Amino acid sequence: MAAIRFTHVIKEYAGGTLAVDDLNLEVAEGEFVVLVGPSGCGKTTALRMVAGLEEITDGEIRIGDRVVNDLAPRDRDIAMVFQNYALYPHKTVYENLVFGLRMRKVPKSEQRRRVEEIARILGLEEMLERRPAQLSGGQRQRVAMGRAIVREPQAFLMDEPLSNLDAKLRVQMRAEIARIQQTLRVTTLYVTHDQVEAMTMGHRVAVMRSGVLQQVDTPQRLYDLPGNLFVASFVGSPAMNLLDVALEREGGGLVCRSGGVEIELPVDIAARRPQLEQYVGRRLALGIRPEALSESSTDPDAPRIRGRALLVEALGAESLAHVEVNAMALDRPELVDVSAAQAHLLPVGDRTATLLARLEHDTGVKPGHVVDLAADVRRLHFFDLDTGSAIPVAGVPVTAAVV
Amino acid sequence: MSSLTPLAPTPVAVRAPARRIRVRRGKLVRRIGLNAVALLVFAVMVFPVYWMVATAFKPGRDILDYKPHWFPAPATLSNFTNAIHRQYFWTDVKNSAIVVVCVVTLSMVVAFLAALALSRFRFYGRGAFIVLILGVLMLPLVALIIPMYITMSRAGQIHGLNWVLGVNKLSGVIVMYMTFVLPFSVWTLQGFMRGVPRELEEAAMVDGTTRFGAFVRILLPLVAPGLVATSIFAFIQAWNEYIIAYVFLQDGSKQTITVWLASFTNLHGTDWGPLMAGATLTALPVVVFFVLIQRRISFGLTAGAVKA
Amino acid sequence: MAVAESEFPLVSRRRRRLSRRRVGSALAPYALLAPTAIVIGAILGYPLYLLVRLSFEQYGLFELVRHKGTWIGIHNFRTIFHDSQFWHVVARTLVFTAVNVTLTMILGTAIALLIARLGRFMRLLLTTGLVLVWATPVVVAVNIWRWMVDYEFGVANWTLTKLHLGNFIHHDWFANTWEGFGVITAVIVWGAIPFVTITLYAGLSQVPQELVEAAQIDGARAWNVFREVTVPLLKPIFIILTSLSIIWDFQVFNQVWIMLGERPSPDYYVMGIYAYVTSFRSNEYGLGSAIAVVMVAIMMAATVVYIRQMIKTGEVR
Repeated sequence: MAAIRFTHVIKEYAGGTLAVDDLNLEVAEGEFVVLVGPSGCGKTTALRMVAGLEEITDGEIRIGDRVVNDLAPRDRDIAMVFQNYALYPHKTVYENLVFGLRMRKVPKSEQRRRVEEIARILGLEEMLERRPAQLSGGQRQRVAMGRAIVREPQAFLMDEPLSNLDAKLRVQMRAEIARIQQTLRVTTLYVTHDQVEAMTMGHRVAVMRSGVLQQVDTPQRLYDLPGNLFVASFVGSPAMNLLDVALEREGGGLVCRSGGVEIELPVDIAARRPQLEQYVGRRLALGIRPEALSESSTDPDAPRIRGRALLVEALGAESLAHVEVNAMALDRPELVDVSAAQAHLLPVGDRTATLLARLEHDTGVKPGHVVDLAADVRRLHFFDLDTGSAIPVAGVPVTAAVV
Repeated sequence: MSSLTPLAPTPVAVRAPARRIRVRRGKLVRRIGLNAVALLVFAVMVFPVYWMVATAFKPGRDILDYKPHWFPAPATLSNFTNAIHRQYFWTDVKNSAIVVVCVVTLSMVVAFLAALALSRFRFYGRGAFIVLILGVLMLPLVALIIPMYITMSRAGQIHGLNWVLGVNKLSGVIVMYMTFVLPFSVWTLQGFMRGVPRELEEAAMVDGTTRFGAFVRILLPLVAPGLVATSIFAFIQAWNEYIIAYVFLQDGSKQTITVWLASFTNLHGTDWGPLMAGATLTALPVVVFFVLIQRRISFGLTAGAVKA
Repeated sequence: MAVAESEFPLVSRRRRRLSRRRVGSALAPYALLAPTAIVIGAILGYPLYLLVRLSFEQYGLFELVRHKGTWIGIHNFRTIFHDSQFWHVVARTLVFTAVNVTLTMILGTAIALLIARLGRFMRLLLTTGLVLVWATPVVVAVNIWRWMVDYEFGVANWTLTKLHLGNFIHHDWFANTWEGFGVITAVIVWGAIPFVTITLYAGLSQVPQELVEAAQIDGARAWNVFREVTVPLLKPIFIILTSLSIIWDFQVFNQVWIMLGERPSPDYYVMGIYAYVTSFRSNEYGLGSAIAVVMVAIMMAATVVYIRQMIKTGEVR
């Protein structure tokens, strides 16, 4: 078992494109870190550089104490699970599992013992003599996992191992992989584009975008304290509502205004973010998670946002309301996760924005109704419109690089 | 909902059978027509081949008859014995076999390496090399034999070269056959290799093999069927070649089987029965191999062009 | 702000440091290509260079014995360009190629469309027949056809007479150039149809069924589906097949040569035959090379179309 450490790692392709730009990251011994980001963000490249399948242009990658930059994959003592499993089609399951051990000249008896043990753990005993083509998707996935585990490597590398499974199996395997990792305590670097996967599986999650690491933190802190607009819009499903607001001083307190929407910030909230003072008289981005909006608040002082319901999606446990409000939607596609922004399917008018609100499952709101949404001011997020950085809460350290 | 219950017959359902029969009859006529055309096409296409085999089994008096004998009855093997006992038959079969085996072996070894480079590495000049391969494949042999002849006749007189090169040397023909077999093999093999996902080798490398080890242990067994198919196609090309053998192998004992077929024709005419028997024998190995690989190889020069 | 620098100290700058492993993997592809490149360079590159050089040289029997030609500049080209026979041969070859390619493509396409509409049994029967024809070596095929059109005992003459298409008894097909070329065209087209048909059929069967269904739902009739869906999808393969056919038919040699008993009269000269006869029968290797160079130049056009289409369809990646 060993830590993986990226130090100022750069990957530049022949055309000059930077796939990975100055990546600094440490996966501690036994830790499960998920690299997440939209496709093309460099996460897979980063993983493949650890495996030795991709040259490192600059910087240093260490596994344990060794700098592995110039080591061949076989000398790195890591195991990898590929997106399409990469099971050897001409070998049986047994031969697939034992291949890595044979290559490492593990004694024959030991080979058999280990493969059989892994097969038992993963429930593959019945299919050891089959070939990959005769297995179902879930079984192939297990064999791919087994091939990694049986080697007892220094670290696991997983490249979107669940993306070829159907939704139900994916949830099941998600738990299984997390459980295996917990039992074996093997350092694991896991790549996915699915933020739900990232949040549910990782001890820590590293968000990447266009080759640049945005933030690394535990899933909960990533969710509660996104370091910038990109992380805020990427993490969480449904995505955070983002409005373009003007910050003004009114009386003793601060007010966010956008179109007809007005949110008064209580003094203690404003005081927790001393930097907000600098933004008075300027515009900034205001973020409100859908669950921070409710239909009726017990708190009579909570600011209200009036709008018209366009669509109400009943999800069983809750209802998701798309509410059109008279406010300015944030229009900075270069700072947010575009795919999440597009999840707001309904057209954004000139002076209207659509807010998503998580309402009670038995809400009486119907499309066309006028709704008053109460915003939980303790759960608001503020971002600089130019840099996209979060305006920090005093006393809470920022955990990772922010562009 | 109630209107969809199976109990509610609609007026349309009553009239339907009559219409269906008419449609069926139209389809039937169409199908018979199509099958008749197909049968005709089949007959026209296959007839020449049939006629060769039929003639080969007919006795001489049935062959040289103004009224064609459609079936080889009575059948005889005398044409085959005649062909086989003709001068140089076995020598020329042996020559063809030597040439083909050498050409295929050499091409496969060399082409395998090149295909590996083209399918597994990105490097400067890769595209240009592929274009070169495809380009030289299209060069007409009849244009190339002129300089080749000049070169060979000269090399044949240079001490140190004349043990391989020169006119009337099988080894010279082997070298010249590489001109078309090698580019073809490179192109076809790299297509087969591209069909093997790269991740398999990456997985093997992570599992502990070297890059070369991954080629040998993973790629080679997986691409083996493609290797066999390419070899067979190379075999067929070399076996069928005519013009180079015709120009360069002038001595009867040094010729290949395709040139040997010309020996049935002389100033007095052609010995049709034995010629057809010889032609059947010449075509036989090719047909057998071809049927084996046809599915795999037919798209080498056009492959992928239809993937929507 | 960035992560505390102390946590990730700057490593020494080693941009593109050339380790042994990197150099190895950068050179590997070239090493693998080297044997092929050397062989092609030696057995194709050199002859090609020599061909061009010969076309600028006086190279006859004398020079062949002496192993040294005499540079005469563009004299060979001037000779052939002023030779009316050369232009006849070029025109004949072009027309001959056009006819062969057109017939091959039309018949090949028609049969492919036919196969696509057949039941399983007939489809198998017809494709098996086509494969059989495809597998027949050219030399064998020519001999079969030569036998079928034999002036005395050929099955063609008897059948045509019986069908009351005229009196073909003792008809010599090669006395008249048009008829002779007709027979040669028949051999070529007959031999070329299987490749075209089977490739096109494979293309047809790869047209996604959903596309056809979508078009039908959009209200397209069979003909419209064919024109709007099938044809555009098959166009790349059609271009490739046509350019390949042009390349192959333009350089035809064996079919003419063997069909006419290895001594065709000048009326039967196509470019390949003309270059060959000039070189090896008249021993004018320089002149023959000039003809061959012109031939390669003309074929270059079709080759460029072929390769460009292969690149476009992503075959050359």
